[in-house]
Amino acid sequence: MPRRLGWGFWISAAWIALVLGAALAADLLPLPRYDETLVGPPQAGPSLAHPFGTDGLGRDVLSRVVYGARVSLGVGVGAVLLGLLVGAPLGVLAGYRGRATDSVIMAFNDIALAFPSLVFALAVVAFAGASLTNVLIVLGVLGVPAWTRLIRGATLSFAGREFVIAARALGARDRRILLREITPNVAVPAASYAFIGMAIAVVAEGSLAFLGLSVQAPTPTWGGLINEGRAVMDNAPFVVLAPSLVMFLTVLSFNVVGDRLRALTDVRQSGLEPGRRAPALAPAAGSRTTVVERAGDALLQVRDLRTHFVTGRGVVRAVDGVSFTLERGRTLAVVGESGSGKTVLIRSVLGLLPGAGVLRDGEVLLEGRDLTTLPPKELRGVLGTRLATVFQDPMTALNPVRTVGTQVMEPLRVHLGMKRRQARAAAAELLSSVGIPEPARVLRRYPHQLSGGMRQRVTIAMALSCGPDVLFADEPTTALDVTIQDQVLRLIHRQRQEHDMAMVLVSHDLAVVAQWADEVLVMYAGRVVERGPAEALFERTRMPYTEALLRAVPRLADPAHQPLRLLGGRPPDLANPPSGCAFSPRCPYARERCGTEAPPLAEAETPGHLYACWYPELVGREREIDREIDTEGVDTRGR
Amino acid sequence: MAGSGSAHLRAPEEVLLRVEDLVVEFPAGRGRRVHAVSGVSFDVARGETLGIVGESGCGKSTAARALMQLPAPLGGSIRLDGVELTGLRGETLRRTRRRLQMIFQDPISSLNPRRRVRDIVAEGPRVWGTGEDRVDEMLEAVGLDPATASDRRPHEFSGGQCQRISIARALVLDPEVVICDEPVSALDVSVQAQILSLLEELKKRYGLTLVFIAHDLAVVKNISDRVLVMYLGKTCELASGDTLVRRPAHPYTRALLASVPRSGLDLPPADRLISGEPPSPVTPPSGCRFRTRCPAAAPRCAAEEPLMRRIGPDQWVACHHPQAPTQQGPPVS
Repeated sequence: MPRRLGWGFWISAAWIALVLGAALAADLLPLPRYDETLVGPPQAGPSLAHPFGTDGLGRDVLSRVVYGARVSLGVGVGAVLLGLLVGAPLGVLAGYRGRATDSVIMAFNDIALAFPSLVFALAVVAFAGASLTNVLIVLGVLGVPAWTRLIRGATLSFAGREFVIAARALGARDRRILLREITPNVAVPAASYAFIGMAIAVVAEGSLAFLGLSVQAPTPTWGGLINEGRAVMDNAPFVVLAPSLVMFLTVLSFNVVGDRLRALTDVRQSGLEPGRRAPALAPAAGSRTTVVERAGDALLQVRDLRTHFVTGRGVVRAVDGVSFTLERGRTLAVVGESGSGKTVLIRSVLGLLPGAGVLRDGEVLLEGRDLTTLPPKELRGVLGTRLATVFQDPMTALNPVRTVGTQVMEPLRVHLGMKRRQARAAAAELLSSVGIPEPARVLRRYPHQLSGGMRQRVTIAMALSCGPDVLFADEPTTALDVTIQDQVLRLIHRQRQEHDMAMVLVSHDLAVVAQWADEVLVMYAGRVVERGPAEALFERTRMPYTEALLRAVPRLADPAHQPLRLLGGRPPDLANPPSGCAFSPRCPYARERCGTEAPPLAEAETPGHLYACWYPELVGREREIDREIDTEGVDTRGR
Repeated sequence: MAGSGSAHLRAPEEVLLRVEDLVVEFPAGRGRRVHAVSGVSFDVARGETLGIVGESGCGKSTAARALMQLPAPLGGSIRLDGVELTGLRGETLRRTRRRLQMIFQDPISSLNPRRRVRDIVAEGPRVWGTGEDRVDEMLEAVGLDPATASDRRPHEFSGGQCQRISIARALVLDPEVVICDEPVSALDVSVQAQILSLLEELKKRYGLTLVFIAHDLAVVKNISDRVLVMYLGKTCELASGDTLVRRPAHPYTRALLASVPRSGLDLPPADRLISGEPPSPVTPPSGCRFRTRCPAAAPRCAAEEPLMRRIGPDQWVACHHPQAPTQQGPPVS
């Protein structure tokens, strides 16, 4: 936790603690009274006895700033507490109850927010009198609508979560749910906002005091000190500077603390822009692959690609020596469990990696040109034109505030230099080629007005717009329904044939892979564990992990309640992978050698079918034994 | 095709949970309504697993939440062991509802990120003041070590382990019916197999009755005794998993099966069995709701809503033109 907050947070927190502590302990500090005149010569500059100097009446400025903090911080903290006390219950009520309660509370809230707040504060203080209590109440009340809105939003986002439904199902009453399930989650954003609210209140009190509408002299406040100091600014600028600087630092600190706390709840997303070129890894000590890749004029060739992330826990070997070759007109499927490195592999091939903390090595050759050495600008030219992508969630690929038309037309205009009218016609044609009815109408729509299947068709149309050589589809149908999945996969397959492209299909669904892929690459712990023509790989599996994946999936043809083959354990920690074969701790066939020595990729009887296993002859044995038992069972019943 | 009716329901005394003519609607703005569930009926016998399958928007998850009265349905009857749940309010509802528990799809969103595993699983016993003896037992039953897991928070666990914690929380109050809403959809295949096996094992051990909702037919078939197919808030077909796969009668069931890649079933390609996209549940089609995508649709389908009727010993279908149940051999894998 402390590391995530950063040093800025701790310096700011220390400053707040210092100011707060000084204000509270002001009477105990060896300072002259704030209203004691002529403790030193008037308007004297900073000295040992008076570090901030003295003002026109010879009062100690440091003392006045410290005592002033009592009012300024007092108003800050008090106003926030008051706003929280009134606003939080209203917000929780509105967010949790919803419906009519929500509408009424939020309607009042919107009206309150529409009030010009500073004018309101001025008016109230002018009429009711400028006292600490009045200023505090006014600033507190003015903060209520913002608190209500914040707490309502936070409550709303948690009230709909499944864990709240689960708590109700268990029989928890509303009060308990609010206390145990909602409050702890709302507390973090509330704490963050409290600090920002304090900054706002301190500034607001300062403004009022500057106008003489806060606590009256002789009680000092920061705003008041700045106001008084104006008169002597020519001769003694430090009288203004000291309280200004302290106030500035305090407000800044409140904001920094608030911002850092909010960062705790935010999820940072990694960018998908080609960043700086990733620093090169040291070359691997001795190539792991024993099979030499066919050199020559393959469309896409990846050689010993390695992508490591430097994290707090150590170096995560997300992709560790992957090689493959892809010819035009073929589909290569990449399969593996989550965390196996398949998505990082694709991003690494495309150069779409976050800039910092990434080490990359190896070659990505597109018709012989190494993409890893291209400067970002040239790489951007290759992406979208020769290499195209379709991702799992079409909403991340589409801009929600721009029409489908502008987005489909953009690559046509940017990369192909089409004129507007020409691009619109081409876009309509593209949409109709991916099976979208009434393309002219869809072009004027926004992404959210389309169904998930239609959105994915649009992203496919965009990917195809510049006639790419290779289409990278990362789980393109995982978010779609089965009947729509079938339509979209058929479409992608047909487009691949028509455009004579190559395709890299990333999927966790082995049935999809079996139906659509020509070649399959199975990844485990960042490495290729088996690779080859789809049929050979599925029919004559040589690697226990592939076998385990295949058998973990229930099949329609199997009878109901058929026990599934279990693959125990979990994928290894890539920062600390097991020695030897990474799969050995979970492998039913593992022997001593597997734990000490990593198996290289070896070639099976089918050309191009590679596997990394010391004991491939064991794979499938279990299945044969099962079959024998099954047959015996049938025989006995037959007799 | 996709219609209503209750011919497939068994006698009330034979079943533990009986849902009749369930209706759930939501406001969709400008006075329009989302017809999420429109007259769905099903029942589950004690110790049985009913699978509900259908695509997104078919109302399967909405129906599951309506069973829990979260929120209460607009119409219909839900009887648990003879007790009508729909009329219950306040304390009585709270006491009765705990006999039903739920497991959700998203392992992250199902667990409160700020609470420790032990507090999450012990919430039920604490609410009812029944003592926390069962908490460790449940954690062990779902395959977690109470000593190491108890004090940790959900983010320290993988998706599969989070789902195990959810299962422990659901079972700690010893419920009679557990409603599993897409419990394995967010998991890797190897973890999916582990959770499916765990559910089967726990079902035997604690005598549970399951309602298992998923979009993956093979998964539903694997775990269920009977499977109900839903489309756009209506029921299409009810049959045992084996019958459903070997002799699908409803055109939508056939389309669903044909859409499964490499199913090994003897069906025409999916694009000949279904076309287009599902219509909006705000303005569902008249008559049979599947007719707009059905290759066999006829004028009668628009005019008259088909009701569930029996077409085999363990098969019911709501369709005017069901595929004649042919005697096919076992599917080739």
